[in-house]
Amino acid sequence: MNTPDFSSQFDEAIDSALGWLADHGEFIFDAANAVLTGVYKAVLWCVAFPPFYVIAALFALLGWRAVGTRFAIVSGLALLFCALIGLWPETVSTLALVLTATILALVVAIPLGVVAGLAPAFDRVVDPCLDLVQTMPPYIYLLPAIALLGYGPATALLATFIVALAPALRLTSLGIRMTPKHFIELGDASGVTGLQMFFKIRLPFAMPSIMAGVNQSLMMAFGMVVIAGIVGSGGLGESIYGAVRTLDIAKSINAAIAIVILTMILDRLAQSAVRSRTGEAQ
Amino acid sequence: MREVRNTDSTGYEMTTAKIDTNEVLVDCQNVWKIFGKSAPAAMNAVVQQGLTKSRILQDYSCVVGVSDVSLQVRRGEIFCIMGLSGSGKSTLIRLLNKLITPSSGRVIVKGKDLSSLNAKELREVRARHIGMVFQSVALLPNRTVLENTAFGLEVQGIGKAERYQVAERALAKVGLSEWSSRYPSELSGGMQQRVGLARAITADPEIILMDEPFSALDPLIRRQLQDEFRQLTKELGKSAVFITHDLDEAIRIGDRIAIMKDGAIIQVGTAEDIVLNPADDYVAEFVAGISRLHLVKAHSVMTPVEPFKAANPGCDVNRLIKATLGADINELIGLTMKSERDALAVVDDGVIVGIITPRDLLRGVQGIPNEFAASSVAAALETSA
Repeated sequence: MNTPDFSSQFDEAIDSALGWLADHGEFIFDAANAVLTGVYKAVLWCVAFPPFYVIAALFALLGWRAVGTRFAIVSGLALLFCALIGLWPETVSTLALVLTATILALVVAIPLGVVAGLAPAFDRVVDPCLDLVQTMPPYIYLLPAIALLGYGPATALLATFIVALAPALRLTSLGIRMTPKHFIELGDASGVTGLQMFFKIRLPFAMPSIMAGVNQSLMMAFGMVVIAGIVGSGGLGESIYGAVRTLDIAKSINAAIAIVILTMILDRLAQSAVRSRTGEAQ
Repeated sequence: MREVRNTDSTGYEMTTAKIDTNEVLVDCQNVWKIFGKSAPAAMNAVVQQGLTKSRILQDYSCVVGVSDVSLQVRRGEIFCIMGLSGSGKSTLIRLLNKLITPSSGRVIVKGKDLSSLNAKELREVRARHIGMVFQSVALLPNRTVLENTAFGLEVQGIGKAERYQVAERALAKVGLSEWSSRYPSELSGGMQQRVGLARAITADPEIILMDEPFSALDPLIRRQLQDEFRQLTKELGKSAVFITHDLDEAIRIGDRIAIMKDGAIIQVGTAEDIVLNPADDYVAEFVAGISRLHLVKAHSVMTPVEPFKAANPGCDVNRLIKATLGADINELIGLTMKSERDALAVVDDGVIVGIITPRDLLRGVQGIPNEFAASSVAAALETSA
């Protein structure tokens, strides 16, 4: 049988292609690495520079404005708890990584989602790509990323970015496509321009769906950031990965609690944003 | 039909100063709309071979929405298009502002052929000259009533202060001033449709297209809105094309009524024309249940004076109670009850032109026109012209 032969040939081709890409595109990937690391460092500085109680107080304030008093108190105390168990630097670096990856993903996904929602032809191309991205196990993105960008936060950022892209893009496209037909008619009959149709009619109707996409992307990014501990993301992911390797159960539980706290706080904040947008549109 | 005269338009900033009721604002000329993938081929087949609707569905799997419709809407007129669902009336009204592009034929609005306009000119015509009210109302849920009402002006780039001022005025006309800062979901269905109407008149268009606006409302509110709509439209001197599936509504609102069936208009006329002279059995069946009391007028039921004189030599026609040509059956019955004699004299310009006996009235109630009446009206029109 020549199946093993074929598969080894295929693997070789992939390897050499990746090698060629790494060699010839080195300056591109170095630049990408520098940019991604730079952005990450900048965001990290913003959350790591202030003392932990300031950040906890800021989150409590945000929670109070967005959700309510009880949530504000609980989230403030929970963040203080993260600092108490000695995981504050890891917690803020995970926070920085998630925020950076999600924001980058949204900057790309929302405009692409708008285009996909308006142009069915583009949507037909994007849709299978997103299917592929979403069905593949998230680990897969770490390998090419590490081959091209090396060990460190830039790789974690790229892999998280890819995973966070899909939900925001999908739900934005869906929201834009779902404008009720009689409102399109209203726009046309009122003599709107293309831009007015988009900003005054399509976008307000799409807003709840887009915000749901933002929330989903944030959650996906959280999931990925922990996995990305393997490639040296730093933060809680790496703590857990290290604890798993050394079978340090106590330490892994501490890090897991910190992740749960962070995830729940950001999820509730994002959900309240969804609700306030949806409430407005009803 | 109830007579709601055009009130003097001075004092209303939103009206055009003088109304020339003969000016044609919307002119549809042999308009067709065929839906489907091979619509152009089907259209060709219609032109060349005169295929019927069912043959087109069979051979081209295309649906004929509107077939060979010609109609004129004049300034200040409320033109009702009545038809059952699937008759093509909603398609037809969308051809008038080119929300749907006709397969063949021309739609001319204010002297401009819509198909000759570019995108910008078409937007201009829609924004300034044609307002539209939808059955679904389509109020933007994220905007207040005032912001919704001002939408048309906002789209035209009118400043906030000015457009809100105009919108407030329009809301006052429909009696919703106090609701301007509320959201549409806080309003009842009837109020929402009033906002829809206010939005349509805010941009001060000459023509308002009404696509079954009151169909989803309960009967009491519907009647109220029908009367308000008619009064407001006449007050502002607007023209309206009003789509409905309800003949009572068409009669209540319309100056003229077009009856649609299978995409074609089968009869156009005033309510009285249609009730007294239905074009075919379909229309006859429709009008069968309509009360004639307010529709049929003296000029349709009166009989000649001479035969009456001959038959009743002792009766001095000059001493009969007088009625006008436009008096309806209800009014004539009232006069007959007051009269000592069993006859009324119909007077036009001080001259007795006909006699109405209780027998004539009964015929009118049944809706059977009278040959003399029809010819005498034609003659009267000729002499006056």
